[in-house]
Amino acid sequence: MAHAHTVKRHKGLMDWLTTVDHKKIAILYLIAGGFFFGIGGIEALLIRVQLAKPMNDFVSAQQFNELITMHGTTMIFLGVMPVIFALMNAVIPLQIGARDVAFPFLNALGFWTFLFGGLLLNLSWIMGGAPDAGWTSYTPLSSTTYSLTHGVDFYTIGLQIAGLGTLIGGINFLATIITMRAPGMSFMRMPMFTWTTFVTSAMILFAFPAITVGLVLLTFDRILGANFFNVESGGNPVLWQHIFWIFGHPEVYILILPAFGVISEVVSTFSRKRLFGYSSMVFATILIAFLGFMVWAHHMFTTGMGPVANALFSIATMLIAVPTGIKIFNWLFTMWGGQIRFTTANLFASGFIPTFVMGGVTGVMLASAPADYQYHDTYFVVAHFHYVIVGGLVLGLFAGLHYWWPKMFGRMLDEKLGKWEFWFFIIGFHMTFFVQHFLGLIGMQRRVFTYLPNQGFDLMNLISTIGAFLMGVGVILFLVNIAITASKPKGVAGDAWEDGRTLEWAIASPPEEYNFKQIPLVRGIDAFWKEKMAGNKEMTPAEPVGPIHMPSPTILPFVMSVGLFIAGLGFMFTNDDFGNGLMNFLFNNYIVVGIGLAITFLCMLLRSLYDDHGWHIEPDELNGKGVKA
Amino acid sequence: MVNQESNGSPTVKHRQRHEGPEKHIIAFIFSIVLTLIAFAAVAAGGVNTAFTVILLLVMAILQVLVQLGYWMHMKDKGHLIPIIFMAGGFFVAFTAIIAALYWMWW
Repeated sequence: MAHAHTVKRHKGLMDWLTTVDHKKIAILYLIAGGFFFGIGGIEALLIRVQLAKPMNDFVSAQQFNELITMHGTTMIFLGVMPVIFALMNAVIPLQIGARDVAFPFLNALGFWTFLFGGLLLNLSWIMGGAPDAGWTSYTPLSSTTYSLTHGVDFYTIGLQIAGLGTLIGGINFLATIITMRAPGMSFMRMPMFTWTTFVTSAMILFAFPAITVGLVLLTFDRILGANFFNVESGGNPVLWQHIFWIFGHPEVYILILPAFGVISEVVSTFSRKRLFGYSSMVFATILIAFLGFMVWAHHMFTTGMGPVANALFSIATMLIAVPTGIKIFNWLFTMWGGQIRFTTANLFASGFIPTFVMGGVTGVMLASAPADYQYHDTYFVVAHFHYVIVGGLVLGLFAGLHYWWPKMFGRMLDEKLGKWEFWFFIIGFHMTFFVQHFLGLIGMQRRVFTYLPNQGFDLMNLISTIGAFLMGVGVILFLVNIAITASKPKGVAGDAWEDGRTLEWAIASPPEEYNFKQIPLVRGIDAFWKEKMAGNKEMTPAEPVGPIHMPSPTILPFVMSVGLFIAGLGFMFTNDDFGNGLMNFLFNNYIVVGIGLAITFLCMLLRSLYDDHGWHIEPDELNGKGVKA
Repeated sequence: MVNQESNGSPTVKHRQRHEGPEKHIIAFIFSIVLTLIAFAAVAAGGVNTAFTVILLLVMAILQVLVQLGYWMHMKDKGHLIPIIFMAGGFFVAFTAIIAALYWMWW
C-alpha cells in the first residue's frame, strides 16, 4: 500500500533549481555545458585571430596565455564533459528501463557543484586575471614564483569543485547501471551507449581522485606555502606531471568512450542493422579503459625517464590502436549492407569515423618515443588532440544531440539546416587542424603568441583561422536550428526515427516524469527492435500497474554548491591585503571559508536528519487524466 | 521467459533483510579500540621505536580489514561487483604510484 506523502510542486525557476528528475538535469547540463562551450569557442576564435598573421598584436602575450589556458580548461572540464553528462542523464535511465538514476539527489548535487565550480573558474576573467599556466598547469610555471595573479588559484579551486560534481555523476551512473536495469537486461544485453557510460563512469571513479590530490597539493603550495613541487625545499615538479597525467590520460578516454557509444547507436539505427560484433565492442571498450590507465607517461617522454620507461609506455600506447581498430571496423561492418539513411545524426557519425582514424594515426606516430622528441610541444600535437577531441568527441556529441533531441524535447531538429551545420563544421574543422600537422612538422611551437613572417607559417596559419570561423558558422547554425525547432509545436512520435532499437524509443517523446508506467521486460539485445520484429507495438511489461515511487524535489544541492563556492572564493584570498580592515578580517581569518563550509555542512546535516520518503503517483493518476499538478 | 541473470524478479523486488545494528556496533568498537591502541603506543613513548612502528602497522592492517569487511560489506555475499571495483582501484592506484615514484627517484 502506498504511503500518502504529499509533495510540494514548484513552478518556473524554482522547479529548475529544485529538480531531481534526470531528464530535467540533462537539460540543465546541456544549457550550462553549451554556455561554457560557447565561451571556450570564443576564446578559440580570439586565439586564431591573434595567430592569423605574423607579428600580430591583437592580444598581448599575457592575454594569449590566459586565452589558451582557459580555452583548454573550459572546453574539456566545463564544455564537453557536461554535454556528455547531458546525454547520459537524458538517455541512460531510459535505455536500461529505469524510472530515474540510483541517487536523484546526488545527480542534482553533481550538476550544481559542476556549475558553481565552472562559474568560479570563469570569474577569474573579471577578478584580476585568468589562469595562465596552460591547461596542464605544469609546475614550476604554475607556482607563485612565476604565476603572480590569482589565476592558477581559480584553476585549482574551480576545478576542485567542478571535479567533485563529475565524480558524483560517475558514481551515480555506476550504481544506476549495476542495480537498476530492467528485468531481462543482463550486462551483455545492454545497449552500447550504456556500456560505454558504464566503463566511462568506472574510469571517472579511478582517475578523478588523482587530479583531486594533485589540485590539493598545488593549492597548498600556492596558498599555504607548502613545497610539494618546489625543488629548493626538496619537492619535485615532475611529480605534478605524473599526477596530472595519471588523471589526464584516462580523462581523454573518459571523453571519447561516450562518443564511441553514441556512434554505435546512431550507425546501427540508421543502417537498420544490429551493431556488428557487439561482444567485441564491449571487450574493446573495457580494454581501452584498462590500457588508458597504463600509458600516462607517454605525455612525459622528454622529461628524461630513460629508454626503458619510454619504450614500455610507447608499446602500451600503440596497443590501444588495436581495440580502437576493432571498433572502427565494427562500425564499417555495421554499415556494410545496411539500409543507410543519411540523417544529420548519421552524417555526423559517418564524418566521425574517418576523422577519428586520422587522429588515431597521428596518435600512434606520437607514441613512438624517438619521433616524439621532434613532435613534442609543436602544432603537430595540437593537430593530433584536436582531431581526436573535436573530430572525435564533438562530432559524436553533435550526432548524439541530433539523434536524441526528439526524445529530450519532443521536437525534431530541422534536417536541412542540420546538413548545413555538418558541412560547415567538418570542412571548417579540417581546414583549421589539417594544416596544423604541417605547421608542427616545420617547427611551429604550440603556445607561442606570435611568430616572425616568412618562415613558411603565414599561409597555413591564415587557412587555419578561416577554418575556425567556418566551424563557428556551423555552431551558430546549430543554435539557429535549436531556436527554429523550439518555436514549432511538440508532437514527435515515441519512436521518432521509426527505426529505434533501444528502450528509450518505446516510450513517449519527451517521456513522462516517471518514464515507464510499467517497467518493461527485456528479451534480447536491442529490446524494442526485438518486440517490433515480433509484431508488438509496445514492450511487454514486467510488472502490473501500481503506484510509482518518486523522489521529492529539493533546493539543498543548490545551496550546498553555493556554500562550496563561497568557501572556495574565501580560501583563495586568505593571504590578500584588501586595504580595508573589515575585508582583511573576514578573509585573513578564514571567516568567509567558515561561512561557506558551514552552509554546506548545515545542508548535509538537514539532509541526514530529515527523512524524505518521496511521494507516489497513484495508478488512477496514470490513466487518462494524467498527473495532477 | 525471464532471463535468470537479471537482477530481481519481474514482479516486486524484495530487499534483503537488514542484518541489524549489533555487528555494526561490534565493528565500530573494534575500530575505536584499534585506534586507541595505536595512539596509546605512541603516547606511552618508553617502549622501543621499532616495536611501536610494527605495532602501528599491524593495527593499521587490522583496521583496513575491519573497514573493508564490515563497513564496505566485503564479507557479505553478492558483493562481487564492489570487490571487482575495489581490486581494480587498488591495481590502478598501485601501478600509478609505484611507477611514478620509481621513475622520479630511482
